[in-house]
Amino acid sequence: MNEKILEVQSLQKYYGKRNAVTKALDGISFHVAQGEFIGIMGSSGSGKTTLLNCIAAASRPTGGKILMKGQEIGALRGKKLADYRGTSIGYLFQNFELIDNLTARENIMLPAAIHNMMGKGGEQRIQELTDYLEIKDILDKYPSEMSGGQKQRVAAARALIMNPEIVLADEPTGALDSKNAKALMNKLCGLNEMQKSTILMVTHDPNTASYCSRILFIQDGVIFHELRRQVPDEARDDFYERIIAVLAQLGGGSANVL
Amino acid sequence: MFFNLVRKNSSRNRKENGLLFVSLVVSIIAFYIILSLENQDVMVFLRTMESDAVSRLLSLIPVMYVVTLFILFFLVYFAGKYNMDKRSHELGMYLMMGMGRGRLLFLLLAEELWNSVLSLIVGIPAAVFLSEMVSLITAKVVGLGIIGHHFSFSLSAVLWTITGYFAVRLAALIILSGSAAGKEITQLLSGAEDKMHKRYHTLPGVIKAVCGLLLLGAAYTMAIMGVSWSSVGKMGITVIFGIAGTFLFFKGIGVLFSIVLKRKKDENGLAVFTFRQLQEAVFHKSSSLAVSSLLVLAALCCFGYGVSVSLSFQERNNHATDYTFQGEGAEIEEQLESLGLKDDIKQLFEVRTGAFASDEEGTSFSVKGITDILEKQEESKGKEVLLNNLQYFTYPYLISLSGYNRVLQSGGKEPVQIGDKEAVFYFGKDFSSADTAEVLKTVLKEHAYVEINGEKIQLAEQYVQENLVTDRSINIQYGLVVTDSVFDNLLRGKYDSYWNASLKDELVEKDGLIRAIRRVNGILNNSPLVYESYLQNIGRQMFYTVAASYTTIYLAVIFLIISNTVMGVQFLLQQQKNKKRYLTVIRLGCQSKELCASARRQVSWYFFLPVITALAGSVFGVRSLLTGMVSTSMGTRTGTMIKIAIPMILLLFVVEFIYIFAVKKMSDKRIRRLMEMKREDD
Repeated sequence: MNEKILEVQSLQKYYGKRNAVTKALDGISFHVAQGEFIGIMGSSGSGKTTLLNCIAAASRPTGGKILMKGQEIGALRGKKLADYRGTSIGYLFQNFELIDNLTARENIMLPAAIHNMMGKGGEQRIQELTDYLEIKDILDKYPSEMSGGQKQRVAAARALIMNPEIVLADEPTGALDSKNAKALMNKLCGLNEMQKSTILMVTHDPNTASYCSRILFIQDGVIFHELRRQVPDEARDDFYERIIAVLAQLGGGSANVL
Repeated sequence: MFFNLVRKNSSRNRKENGLLFVSLVVSIIAFYIILSLENQDVMVFLRTMESDAVSRLLSLIPVMYVVTLFILFFLVYFAGKYNMDKRSHELGMYLMMGMGRGRLLFLLLAEELWNSVLSLIVGIPAAVFLSEMVSLITAKVVGLGIIGHHFSFSLSAVLWTITGYFAVRLAALIILSGSAAGKEITQLLSGAEDKMHKRYHTLPGVIKAVCGLLLLGAAYTMAIMGVSWSSVGKMGITVIFGIAGTFLFFKGIGVLFSIVLKRKKDENGLAVFTFRQLQEAVFHKSSSLAVSSLLVLAALCCFGYGVSVSLSFQERNNHATDYTFQGEGAEIEEQLESLGLKDDIKQLFEVRTGAFASDEEGTSFSVKGITDILEKQEESKGKEVLLNNLQYFTYPYLISLSGYNRVLQSGGKEPVQIGDKEAVFYFGKDFSSADTAEVLKTVLKEHAYVEINGEKIQLAEQYVQENLVTDRSINIQYGLVVTDSVFDNLLRGKYDSYWNASLKDELVEKDGLIRAIRRVNGILNNSPLVYESYLQNIGRQMFYTVAASYTTIYLAVIFLIISNTVMGVQFLLQQQKNKKRYLTVIRLGCQSKELCASARRQVSWYFFLPVITALAGSVFGVRSLLTGMVSTSMGTRTGTMIKIAIPMILLLFVVEFIYIFAVKKMSDKRIRRLMEMKREDD
């Protein structure tokens, strides 16, 4: 079995006080292995983005632990925390979050500059990534001069430039049309297969989720179900059908179906 | 509920726009001080002597007030516009919840009114206090003494300040609410649309920057050479060149950032982010930066001119005598004794002067010995003026050496020693300029001479300038100081006598010069004596100084406040608008320390660009003001320029330091708040 990259143990995140507590995450546990492409699915308000933010150290959990390669991220402070955000994880946002007055190249290189890694193999890495993501011709363009698909591929290059342990993708196809969404997922899938990049993706789109090797379904702050794709025997279409079936159960509520 | 909302919104506006609030309070203080100018001790004193001039100055104050209100309007308007953009979503929400547009307008009006009232509550007492302080300090500095000081409160100044201030704020609000009222609710809810990022093209940028510099160069050359001052049209061209040059320069200055970015592209840290932010800010806001730069330049020029005028006052303040009497010496002494002033006044001495009539039979006068040397000098403005003036130097004023030496001694200077075949050239201070003085000095060193009745009279190597009288009983442009025997010989009794005297030192030390002269004048006015005192002289000088310094410092303060507030408010609002970028950088793992440092660097550049441009401009600007407006010997001497530059730079340094410090603090606070938001944004 592959090495565990990420371990989430009894993770809780509560909002509000006393009588008005909202349990966004209520004791979630799972782990992610090296090279895995894992999806998190659930309806709006199920807690999937909260989970991603806790892993990205953008939000402090109320209870439980998150371990990245055995190191508890709740214990990180100051520079170590910033380094964790910048180098251990790469974040892919739904709305790309490119800085609109920086060129594609500058956007991609920004994490390297922030973490003082300019000139340390960055050029070769950018070459590989831009070749693979087919964004070489737009490196000197500003985000306003790119299409949505190009923007998200530039954002993907930025998330990967520091060779992170894990890429956290929050609805990466949410702002793309179906053609661009498919192209992006193929690229992410390729990165996962060829470069063994570990990807944790939050989505509510079954089509996007069908690219994953494992899917965790969250409802009301707890893991409700887990699906594993039978690689290589199971075709993506078949996996998609299974996802749809689980989503139908989710929609009907667990009491009625399971 | 409604008034609670008004109070809360106003309080938030003040906190978020603290810089604007403080600047408006300072403007209120400046308005009150200038509007209550007539109550200042020094003005009350000057009114007794130079009432016409003071009235003329006071009649100019409303014009200055209206002009500054007009400029303040733009500050309030732009700051209000940014604020409205920021609050667009909030205003949309009020409408969505069913608030009528009329009521929304009333809400905005009430907020504005509340903030205006608060700024007046802070500003007016501070203004009254500062106005008193200024009055006392000026009175002390100019030697009036502070014993006669009375507390003054100008109700009309308060009312005008309040009226003008409200008018400006309400006018801005009405225009802004008008545009907000015309918008659909959805437009308001979606907030200010972000402008698409525009690509910066290098070549047009370089062309604009170069054209801007050329135009600025042309404007300053015209101003310094004095061409601009020859006609209104030429002055208009100079001003248009200057303004257009500044605008073009700021439009093209983005090139600078392209160069910096090229060099920094592989640098660690936030260098690229910092300079891209700056490039965008300068590119998008080039016009308001140009306006800010022009305002800073105007402030520096005003201040520099004010300083130069007060310096000339100081220079002229060294005087030789306090009184000049006309008439018979014995009679004057007798009168003084009968008035009981004998003990107050030092010994009287006579200065004799008269015009040598060279057209009488057997007399002749020639300045060929000067003009010949003058013609050999290099072409210059001074040479041209001297040659022209000396053509009319045909009836020379002769001054007797003994009297003149007493004047010199009285002013603490060494007496002059000459023989019968020699003379000293007298060059009236009021008629000299740096150019002519320089040329004359050179000419005299080359053994210049004049011929009187065919006889060669050698001129001393240095000219003299000490006034013969205390004020204006006689004012000579060119003259010759000759020995008493030559004087008597040539004028044969046809001369005028001026009897000079000074107050005793103990008296001046006890009461101060002005008070002492005023007391003695009070006694002299009841006698038949014809006299003039140094009070008239100092009064006139003081009027020029006070008029120039009050008005220029007022304008300088207003201009500096407005320009800096525009820059500060603009930077902070731009930062607020781009907070998503800051959030992204935080998400990528940047620490608050680095991000704050990047923003601080942006603030420094954002302020320094227009300020440094203005400072460079002011070197030429002040020089051209001196060329055009100061006709005394101050001219363009380096020493004088340095004396002007030091307080100017000091003022600028202090003001910029305060503003930059405040904006950096606010920027840090915002970034830290963003970091907090980021941690809790889910």
